[in-house]
Amino acid sequence: MSAPDVRITAEPIDNGRCKFLVSEPIHAGGVRRFASSDEARGSPLPEAIFAIPGADVSEVIVSGNLVTVVKRSPAPWPVVGKAVGQAIRAALAGGQQAVVAKPVVPGTATADDALYERVADLFESQVNPMVARHGGRVELIDVQDAVVMVRMGGGCQGCGMADVTLRQGIEGMLHQYVPEVKGIVDITDHTAGSNPYFAAAKK
Amino acid sequence: MLRPSPRLLLLLPTVTYRTVAFVEAARRLGVDLTVASERPSTFEQANPTGLVTLDFADPARAAGQARAFARRHELHGVVAVDDDTAVVAAAIAEELGLRGNPVAAAAAARDKHQQRQRLAAAGVAVPRFELLTTAADSERVAGRASYPCVLKPLRLSASRGVVRADDAAGFVAAFQRLTAILEQPDVARCGDWARQILVEEFVPGREVAVEGLVTQGVLTVLAMFDKPDPLDGPFFEETIYVTPSRLARAVQRDIAVCVQAAVGALGLREGPIHAEVRHNDRGAWLIELAARPIGGRCSGALRFEIREAGNGKRETSLEEIIIRHALGMELPTLEREHQASGVMMIPVPGAGVLRDVRGVGEARKVPLVEEVVITAHRGQTLVPWPEGSRYPGFIFARGGTSEAVEAALRAAHAQLEFLTEPAD
Repeated sequence: MSAPDVRITAEPIDNGRCKFLVSEPIHAGGVRRFASSDEARGSPLPEAIFAIPGADVSEVIVSGNLVTVVKRSPAPWPVVGKAVGQAIRAALAGGQQAVVAKPVVPGTATADDALYERVADLFESQVNPMVARHGGRVELIDVQDAVVMVRMGGGCQGCGMADVTLRQGIEGMLHQYVPEVKGIVDITDHTAGSNPYFAAAKK
Repeated sequence: MLRPSPRLLLLLPTVTYRTVAFVEAARRLGVDLTVASERPSTFEQANPTGLVTLDFADPARAAGQARAFARRHELHGVVAVDDDTAVVAAAIAEELGLRGNPVAAAAAARDKHQQRQRLAAAGVAVPRFELLTTAADSERVAGRASYPCVLKPLRLSASRGVVRADDAAGFVAAFQRLTAILEQPDVARCGDWARQILVEEFVPGREVAVEGLVTQGVLTVLAMFDKPDPLDGPFFEETIYVTPSRLARAVQRDIAVCVQAAVGALGLREGPIHAEVRHNDRGAWLIELAARPIGGRCSGALRFEIREAGNGKRETSLEEIIIRHALGMELPTLEREHQASGVMMIPVPGAGVLRDVRGVGEARKVPLVEEVVITAHRGQTLVPWPEGSRYPGFIFARGGTSEAVEAALRAAHAQLEFLTEPAD
């Protein structure tokens, strides 16, 4: 597949965050989150995204064919997004892994693994039974540097209240039961939700 | 000792588009948030401080529920995001002594007939109007009506059910069509207003939308949007909003004066307003005024600039301004960015079940286009106006001039192709 054949769909969440859905897989080895250019060193795609001039990128999360970029700059996504798109195409055309597997840092992986287990237990015992009442489900994708990454499905995907579920529900439970968790990131493609529990109307 | 963060009660109906914008704005401001909805969240028991269910259909009851909640968790502000919750927010503000509108003012803004009566009594220019019931003899009324006229429900939003009639036959047809909408179960159970129809003079002219913030009864205009597509009927589906307005400054002043007069006549004191105003050779005419911010995803077209020390600047959103105002926090700016900006509410392409949308990538590539959001999901039944009220998506653009922004929105829309199948 040549780079021009790669299709990329940008889905801005707000002025700070944007998801890029790529027609080709970027990283098959689960989720990788990069919170700085130092962390991105060795992975061509996040390295290139952190290096976008004027974007002031603060976080890159890569999972399957989804790239989530968080920036601090007020530069609009159409401008930054074009550079992200170029970085994605260049990384896919480069012939080497766009994102390398996470190096094992003694202590960190163990801490994240332990958190993962506790978060997974919480999701299984409490979170998913709750969202199941609205036909939803929340998949724990990974825990990296104490940040939890989730994907919503069923009635949650595309639901008008999904952000309330995430912030007021799941995040609150994490804060209560796994206080070591530093944050939660939703990597769901909500535009693909075909059966949202609550669908929005204009006003 | 650290002062605790203020707690905001955010009234979010489950059908709102505004969830992410308001929830994330509250997070950015670091305020403690309680989200109230009319239906319980499945997490309400797990997070009783952050989630509460209120009876949005009964503002007095909702205020009592909020009072009970506030006994356990002090509330410092309340924000509504739509027409119904604007009245609920007013009731809660009165009950708890929070910044807000008087209930009577919010209720008058909510009901088109009450609104017309108050505005007309105060000398604000409004179309001539008459209230009918759905049981009226439409042929008889049609015989004495002036044309063209517009038939409206008293409360439905997004111009649902609004139909223009140019003659007696058109009046009868419009009356029957609107009555059928009002008899739909989701509407009919809403109250007596669902058995009433407002008939008013059609006012020709250029239409603008005014976004404003009211503080102690004084209006600050945050943005004035041109609506370049003529809204002459027979139905009134919105399309493009572009700001700054290209109307002459004197005309814009007339419009602002008209909206301020309407705010005063209704008795609104605090919070966001969204007004629709027409202007013609007889001046500015108040068509609608709502005690809430702009609807749908359209607030994404608004950014406000905060100048910082040196040459630095950062941006803030309409939602952050509204939350700051409700909580009595400092307002760092009410000045919109210098760029022109616009949004297109994508028209419903026709009745049917949505199967796919093509051309989104191409639409995003149109210069000045910042975002194309398809909010309709595959399998959703698309319903055109006047029965419908849900746009399948939104296009946003920014640029040097309003003309360029409008052209970009049209060019992006031209790239979109909606594939639908007939509904069963």
